[in-house]
Amino acid sequence: MSEPETAIPESPASTGSMLELQGVTKSFGDLRVLDGIDLSVERGEVVCVLGPSGSGKSTLLRCVNLLAPPDEGRILLEGKEITGRGREGLDFVRRRVGMVFQSFNLFPHKNALENVTLAPEAVLDKGDRECLEDGRRLLARVGLTDRADEYPERLSGGQQQRVAIARALAMGPEVMLFDEVTSALDPELVKEVLDVMRELADEGMTMIVVTHEIGFAREAADRVIFMDGGLIVEEGPPSQVLDAPREDRTKRFLGLVLEH
Amino acid sequence: MDQIISQYFDFGVMFDPDNLDKVLKGFWYTVKLSIISGVLSLSWGLILAVLRQTRGRWGAVIRWPTIAYIDVFRGIPALLVIVLVSGSLAALSVENLVTGEKGPIPQSIGVPDWFSQPAPFWYGVIALTLTYGAYMAEVYRAGIEAVPNGQMEAARSLGMSHGQAMRKVIVPQAIRKVIPPLLNDFIALTKDTTLVSVIGLIEVLQASKDIQSETLNSSAVTLAAMMFLLCTIPMARGVDILISRQQAKFQRGLA
Repeated sequence: MSEPETAIPESPASTGSMLELQGVTKSFGDLRVLDGIDLSVERGEVVCVLGPSGSGKSTLLRCVNLLAPPDEGRILLEGKEITGRGREGLDFVRRRVGMVFQSFNLFPHKNALENVTLAPEAVLDKGDRECLEDGRRLLARVGLTDRADEYPERLSGGQQQRVAIARALAMGPEVMLFDEVTSALDPELVKEVLDVMRELADEGMTMIVVTHEIGFAREAADRVIFMDGGLIVEEGPPSQVLDAPREDRTKRFLGLVLEH
Repeated sequence: MDQIISQYFDFGVMFDPDNLDKVLKGFWYTVKLSIISGVLSLSWGLILAVLRQTRGRWGAVIRWPTIAYIDVFRGIPALLVIVLVSGSLAALSVENLVTGEKGPIPQSIGVPDWFSQPAPFWYGVIALTLTYGAYMAEVYRAGIEAVPNGQMEAARSLGMSHGQAMRKVIVPQAIRKVIPPLLNDFIALTKDTTLVSVIGLIEVLQASKDIQSETLNSSAVTLAAMMFLLCTIPMARGVDILISRQQAKFQRGLA
């Protein structure tokens, strides 16, 4: 299967950012989960998204890779509009944007290595042997060389999540989306996952990270976004948003999160 | 009392070489019918189940006829389908004796004798596959719907198409979950092969019934029943073992 190089033209609305959201809205039934989001993310930038549950953070990520296509507004990736293009937009975005989920979602009938190689073998124009080599290299990168043959049920939550990160990286993404990836983990397993993410950030990966880990946001993020009620309430460098928030809603939320 | 016992368990009748030969020949048809119809309905059912999962506006063109098919064939008796298939296929392929017109379907399909099996055998295979395919489609569907939504999302987010995700991620997990209920359907199908006796196949029921009519003794039918049990009881135990294994896995939180 050869990779059909996309014919999506450069959008005149582009400002040259890696990823741009312009007026994105999304409703589920009567519930307006995203209420007009404008956001642009530069190449190599790490953006952490904070906010109470139900604020639309996860939906924001799912809009970006079109798992939940926006109702209105547009999304540009590398200057090309991916919204409203059907299959073409999907193919373009899914090969360039990787996603890691809160509940890992590893394929339980495949071992760790097969989890990593399944999609590249099916989708990319690469030989199976090359996919295998890449898979082993990626498992090594997340520190799981010796667990390649294990099935997900035999791995700890932290190990599963690291396999999930390797699996997403196997598609060679330009942007990685992390959806509360440490929320389902026991506290002692959180660090190993955050360490992998920190390394990725250091290597220059463009990342949007929905998280409750304030510490991670403080040290790894270039920019922190606080969302509430489907809107971006406040954004800025971590030192400003986390330590000197301007908005009351941000202060209240941080007060609740930092209390314990 | 002796008379009652010998009505059912007269070994003289059961193991009379002629009778035994007839019953075994009949049962061999039963076995072939079960295996061929079983394999075909397992495949046909999976195809139906996947077609039923087609999404989108255009998918409805495939989805609704599939749902209608499943509803219809689960809703009418297998016996009726057998009669319908055998009567119509033959009639549509033979020459009209009055007008001399040829039937609209070729005789090799209307009166099949593939692999030197008689036509009623193939009518039986077709009818049982049509019926049990519909049953098994619903079993597969339950399995597909039992696979967590996150699996499809993960596969799609990795760039797989809906079809690739179904083939490589969803269906393999679904099948694992539904092997026990599929085996149950297979057991039911094995028993329903006796229905094919009504269209003239001398399978085990017809063969033993003929002996019963001749001898006024039911032992040959008892023998047929025992042959069924010899197959169905191990299958039922197999299902039990599979289910308890799955439950053990589930309790460890792995399934």
